Amino acid sequence: YNFTNCDFEKIKQKYQKTIYDDLKEYMNGTRSTQFNSTVSCNNRADCLAAIERLTFRPPRGCASLAGEAFALRTDATFTLQCPGYSSAQIHNTQAAKKRKKREVTTNKCLEQVSQLLGLWGRFCRTFRKQ
Amino acid sequence: GGRIWGVLQVQIIWFNFETVQVTWNASEYPGTNLTFLYRFDSGDTYDQCTNYILQHDLTAGCTLDAEQDEILYFSIENGTHPLLTQSHWISYYLKPGSPRDLSFLWQQEAVTVTCPDLLYDGFLYEVQHRSTFDTSWQSQEEETCNVTIEGLDTEKCYCFRARVKTTESSYGPDAYPSDWSEVTCWHGGQPTDLCPDKLLHPKFTRFIL
Amino acid sequence: SGYAQNGDLEDAELDDYSFSCYSQLEVNGSHHSLTCAFDDPDINSTNLELEICGALLEINCLNFSKLQEVYYIKTKKFLLIGDSEICVKLGEKSITCKKMNIVKIVKPEAPFNVSVIYREGANDFVVTFNTSHLQKKYVKNLMHDVAYRQEKDENNWMHVNLSGTKLTLLQRKLQDDAMYEIKVRSIPYSSDYFEGFWSEWSPSYHFRTPETKRAEEMD
Repeated sequence: YNFTNCDFEKIKQKYQKTIYDDLKEYMNGTRSTQFNSTVSCNNRADCLAAIERLTFRPPRGCASLAGEAFALRTDATFTLQCPGYSSAQIHNTQAAKKRKKREVTTNKCLEQVSQLLGLWGRFCRTFRKQ
Repeated sequence: GGRIWGVLQVQIIWFNFETVQVTWNASEYPGTNLTFLYRFDSGDTYDQCTNYILQHDLTAGCTLDAEQDEILYFSIENGTHPLLTQSHWISYYLKPGSPRDLSFLWQQEAVTVTCPDLLYDGFLYEVQHRSTFDTSWQSQEEETCNVTIEGLDTEKCYCFRARVKTTESSYGPDAYPSDWSEVTCWHGGQPTDLCPDKLLHPKFTRFIL
Repeated sequence: SGYAQNGDLEDAELDDYSFSCYSQLEVNGSHHSLTCAFDDPDINSTNLELEICGALLEINCLNFSKLQEVYYIKTKKFLLIGDSEICVKLGEKSITCKKMNIVKIVKPEAPFNVSVIYREGANDFVVTFNTSHLQKKYVKNLMHDVAYRQEKDENNWMHVNLSGTKLTLLQRKLQDDAMYEIKVRSIPYSSDYFEGFWSEWSPSYHFRTPETKRAEEMD
């Protein structure tokens, strides 16, 4: 899915007001700088694509993040603010939702969420002063 | 504050989107010149530091030019043996410059403090003020450098200072606030070198009815 | 009152079932609340139930519980993104429904601990108060309305709006040797993600202004 036509300003607001606290809560006191930052992005659409990938397709060693509050809110945000996202992604997220029972928080999951914090932060920093 | 990774206590500061300073405390390796290798996300090969910071003639840090918001990959080595290999967004350690060119616009019992905004969002502009009767600074912050402080007494002398703070959702919890700007004082809407520092013995009477 | 009105009323006969709601986030630890009531207090709501669907975490719908004439939900499951639909139900039949966004009908908790300290040398009064919203995750940005009046001046309230919790009133702007009442209420900050209504007023604080020095010197 190409995130170029999303309403980036609204996505940033929803991230800063809800998703960010969910991600911090998930980290449960572990500082994101305790992990190396390895996933980068440099423009808004690129960042959202990386965020979507890391949120809904977790790596080996981290069963699923799709059931977490931050993932449900990310999904709702993309569905609301990105034209055609829901139809394009419904297959992925519905399947993920079925597996979604809250999973054990492994170190691999913590590392993944720390990468997400980095990507979301980079997304927010792309916004210049109007 | 430094971060302890492995045996080395490393501190990273990205000064005002211009230079990154990485310093380490190598007390575990007395008398040793540690080597600093690095690359940015956009580069692919590691380079050695060309601008070491020395302490007692031994390497204790490195200063790098850095103007892009990227991930810094670095390795600190003892000879060819890596002691620490890390990679972090340098934005996590940003320290913005102090607010410049502060201007004050007085209107009756209010003053609007303005200054040029930084290029990007994700900052809070904090202005503190106090009169000679206040025992501590009082803060107000806005997302742009345009802060209006109301309820001031034209008969009192006030001092002001300002700084830039990063927001956690954009720059993480470890970034640094800027240094405070210089303190400027005003009396009756006119600038003054300083406020007479006569803190009256506070005769506070609390009304309880 | 602090409720969102129904913008698109159906036909006249259903007007009776119009209702209004407000939300309070993190009102009890991390639990939120949603409170609704029929606009017509005389309505017979005996068999009427309320249900909310949409913009919920991990579930599709939630049923309200009922306390006298007020319908109430306490939950952690608000998604806080996008619209929900709240329906009045009679058995399984939805009589009327309304789209609402939980984050746009927020009613903050009332401020508290209002206190006034007179500073003789400064000839002013320092007003301070507290708000539970300073410790919250979501609704952190509030505008406060400080209202004060001379007690004998029934309706002559003066108002000061501020985002902080400390304010200075100048002695020369108040009457000497007079009894004053002061109270505070809060509303979500206008440009914030969260919007909504005024809170209830804080408990009032009463204080008396001193006689001025001229009066003291004449004594």
